[in-house]
Amino acid sequence: MKKNWEEPKLEVLNINM
Amino acid sequence: MINSQTISVESIVGQVEGNIVSDMGGEKVMLSISNGKYYNLGEIGGVIWDAIQQPLSFSELIDNLLNEYQVDRETCEQQVLTFLEMLLEEEIILIRS
Repeated sequence: MKKNWEEPKLEVLNINM
Repeated sequence: MINSQTISVESIVGQVEGNIVSDMGGEKVMLSISNGKYYNLGEIGGVIWDAIQQPLSFSELIDNLLNEYQVDRETCEQQVLTFLEMLLEEEIILIRS
């Protein structure tokens, strides 16, 4: 049974360092 | 057919070393040491990230994903290509043509 596919996305997180 | 200036089916894809990576709720979160940015690669992005721990060709990567996920080749190629180009732009992967 294959898994459901979702479009891979890159999210840049706004974390102030 | 993939359409990219930088990545072809023969391109070898690998990780840039030195990033801090963690699994959070099934998603892959990363801190790039080189640019200080935090990224969320998501679930599928995390699978792709793990797959390129050992550098492999774009076509091998797609074959691996097609074996594991319910998706047609054209959709998979196009979406993974777009994702890899974003990673490349952020300089967290290496592409060798």
